[in-house]
Amino acid sequence: MTLLIVSDLQVSIGGVPILRDIDLSVDRGKVLGIVGESGSGKSMTAYSIMRLLPAGSSAAGRIELAGQSLFALTEPQMCEVRGRDIGMIFQEPMTALNPLQSIGDQVAETIKIHTDVTRAEARRITLETLAKVELPPAEFPPSRFPHELSGGQRQRVVIAMAIALRPKLLIADEPTTALDVTTQAQLLKLLKRLVDEDDMGLILISHDLAVVANTADDIAVMRDGVVLDAGSVRRIFTGNRHPYTTELLEASTHVPASNVPIPKVDEAEVKRAVPLLEVRDLVREYKLPRGGLFKPVRYLRAVDEVSFSIHRGENVGLVGESGCGKSTLTRAILGLEPIQGGAVLLDGQSVLHGMERGLDQHRKMQVVFQDPYGSFNPRHTVARLVTEPLYALEVQPDKAQRAAALAEVLERVGLLSSDRDKYIHEFSGGQRQRIAIARALISRPSLIILDEAVSALDVSIRARILDLLVELSSSFDIAYLFISHDLSVVRSVTDRVLVMKNGRIVEQGETEAVFKRPEHPYTRSLIESVPKLSYVV
Amino acid sequence: MIRFIARRLLSLALTLLIASVIIFLALEVVPGDPASVMLGVNAQADTVAALKEELGLNVAKPVRYLNWVTGMLTGDFGISYTYRTPVRDMIADRMVISFPLALYALLLSTLIAFPAGIIAATKRGAVADLSVMGTTQLGIAIPNFWFAMILVSLFAIKLQWFSAGGFPGWEAGFGAGIKALTLPAIALALPQASILARVMRSSLLDTLGEDFIRTARAKGLTARQALWHHALRNALIPVLTIIGLQFSFLLAGAIIVENVFYLPGLGRLIFQGITQRDLIVVESVVMLLVFAVVMVTFLVDIAYAAVDPRLRRRM
Repeated sequence: MTLLIVSDLQVSIGGVPILRDIDLSVDRGKVLGIVGESGSGKSMTAYSIMRLLPAGSSAAGRIELAGQSLFALTEPQMCEVRGRDIGMIFQEPMTALNPLQSIGDQVAETIKIHTDVTRAEARRITLETLAKVELPPAEFPPSRFPHELSGGQRQRVVIAMAIALRPKLLIADEPTTALDVTTQAQLLKLLKRLVDEDDMGLILISHDLAVVANTADDIAVMRDGVVLDAGSVRRIFTGNRHPYTTELLEASTHVPASNVPIPKVDEAEVKRAVPLLEVRDLVREYKLPRGGLFKPVRYLRAVDEVSFSIHRGENVGLVGESGCGKSTLTRAILGLEPIQGGAVLLDGQSVLHGMERGLDQHRKMQVVFQDPYGSFNPRHTVARLVTEPLYALEVQPDKAQRAAALAEVLERVGLLSSDRDKYIHEFSGGQRQRIAIARALISRPSLIILDEAVSALDVSIRARILDLLVELSSSFDIAYLFISHDLSVVRSVTDRVLVMKNGRIVEQGETEAVFKRPEHPYTRSLIESVPKLSYVV
Repeated sequence: MIRFIARRLLSLALTLLIASVIIFLALEVVPGDPASVMLGVNAQADTVAALKEELGLNVAKPVRYLNWVTGMLTGDFGISYTYRTPVRDMIADRMVISFPLALYALLLSTLIAFPAGIIAATKRGAVADLSVMGTTQLGIAIPNFWFAMILVSLFAIKLQWFSAGGFPGWEAGFGAGIKALTLPAIALALPQASILARVMRSSLLDTLGEDFIRTARAKGLTARQALWHHALRNALIPVLTIIGLQFSFLLAGAIIVENVFYLPGLGRLIFQGITQRDLIVVESVVMLLVFAVVMVTFLVDIAYAAVDPRLRRRM
């Protein structure tokens, strides 16, 4: 039976059309996946169904839930529908909950505003719902506050709020994007189970085709506010599909072709050569708050005796879940923080930590971070941002040399030299990441640390950035330390991989070997959790 | 929580100790000696010396500091050099005006600012918002002594609803006392209310843009319910900081308004003390104000903890 029908939906914000001719339908007990890149209108489609569009927008067309037209309802009636008939889950579990209310109160609120049950009854339903989303009251009492839970657990609370009244339809907008692969796998399983148990319809919105492929029955592919392709998962993956869908599929399984054949390295020679970066028994500890005035100070070991090395021109991946110490390790390697033990050697020279860092180490080692917007000063021009690392050179280039260096790197990363006078907000996410790479490149480093550098990008842009990185690596002989939670990306671009858990490297080796024959159980579970495009192109 | 309060009390005591040293030293280096000021320029040297002896000004400085601090701990603030009456009584007389006045002004300011801020935030960009923003702009810009004089000429002289100044004392009855403090409280509250309303508005606007408000709407709460149940308490945290700062300011910063209304408050006492080199009065009043500021900060910290569970745990 068809539960939700969206037909001929048109939405515009401030007169600018953002959704055109959207037709979708969801059946009871079925999952509709909506896939698209950022700006494709997938979230706006969800907000249209909820009638929670931003101020200044107007919607036309038809949306029917179980035969009831949602556009015909008044706002108070719509408030009754939200939470009772339609539940919604959002992308950001860290901020989706009110930090000042206990999780029990927040789940109970859904029940209290829609029903007349007694306080005790509401509490009973709350506990039952929390148990249903696998937050058993014994371990997670409802008196807990959001800040006491992890991202995955918070997302379960948001799910509990959405399903407490067994809605007919659940909308999940990128529910697992901000989470680790293992948590993602568990949550997708949970959602699937809830759909089966309660005979709900589910709209699963994601930028990741693989996430949707394993969970959905039907798929709609969106771009620029239009549904380009829709149909059953089987047809999308095996039958004839829209060229854009093919493009998406290829981009998400993209393996950059390296244009220079990797020369067979002589193992003995490598052993003799000084590694470019050598990390020896590195320890980074944080002081924990004292238990009491006279209790001993306790420490948290975020990085626990980590050792590895990177040779010239080598691409090494570092994978692990959030909180495993990846970012702390990055900062320690860069010398941004003091270390409590071990050593970091760059070209055989010890990396200085804390305030007095060597210029040479700045020049040789650069970094690209995840957030391409947050890592730039918005008030500086591209020219100033990109040429900043030049101060680390021993001989300061003159104005003309600076301009030439700037023009060269901008061109290398695929930007125009006329972009030099623009500001960072004038660029898209992918272009910003190119600027970040240009900034890392300008001082001719031997090592670039890429900290989740492509994680925030759309698949097609990600594919292009990966190609660029591979090309730069071979033409400038740069080594990469590629840090990511995305295993498929790491697999496609690195020669060797390190797997990190709880501050330790639990496994390392040739990338292909590790992925094909993982030895450590943790590596195995990580690899198994990665959503795969089961019907391979 | 108890450990948190204990720790805060300890740091509070330390702050007060450091403040007392600084106040004492600062006033010691101020030129002018109380004995000569009291006796006038024509006084004979031996008379001045005798008075100095009597006032205890000849004792070594560390000893005088210790006497002062231990005296305050036992409630003895010393004897005023000028008036020869116990400083404690002088402060107590003024406190019964200044403390209720500060509270009254703060209450008015909060009562005006909360609704104004909430209305402005919910009706962002509409006439209500624009008029709140305009009025508060004006409220901050107008000097409060001028506003006080306008109030006097309108309500005291023309309409004769209130008296133009002075304080009948609480013996005349609670109503009469409050009536006498009303115009000064309004004059003091206007700029404070304007600042507070703006802070409330921007804090609430920030909170209304948060993800959890969207979550609340998705649960089926109306916009108004989401505001009252979720946004307001979250928006309160920066507002509490401002309220704390304002109270400390109102307690001592009312000198000008006290002068306009002839109110014998703390502000005037400290002003007189400075002009007459009545160091012991100045020291004691300043110390008292430091104590009030530190106490208010302490109370605001506890209020934070009551509002925000994240802080409760860190304690």
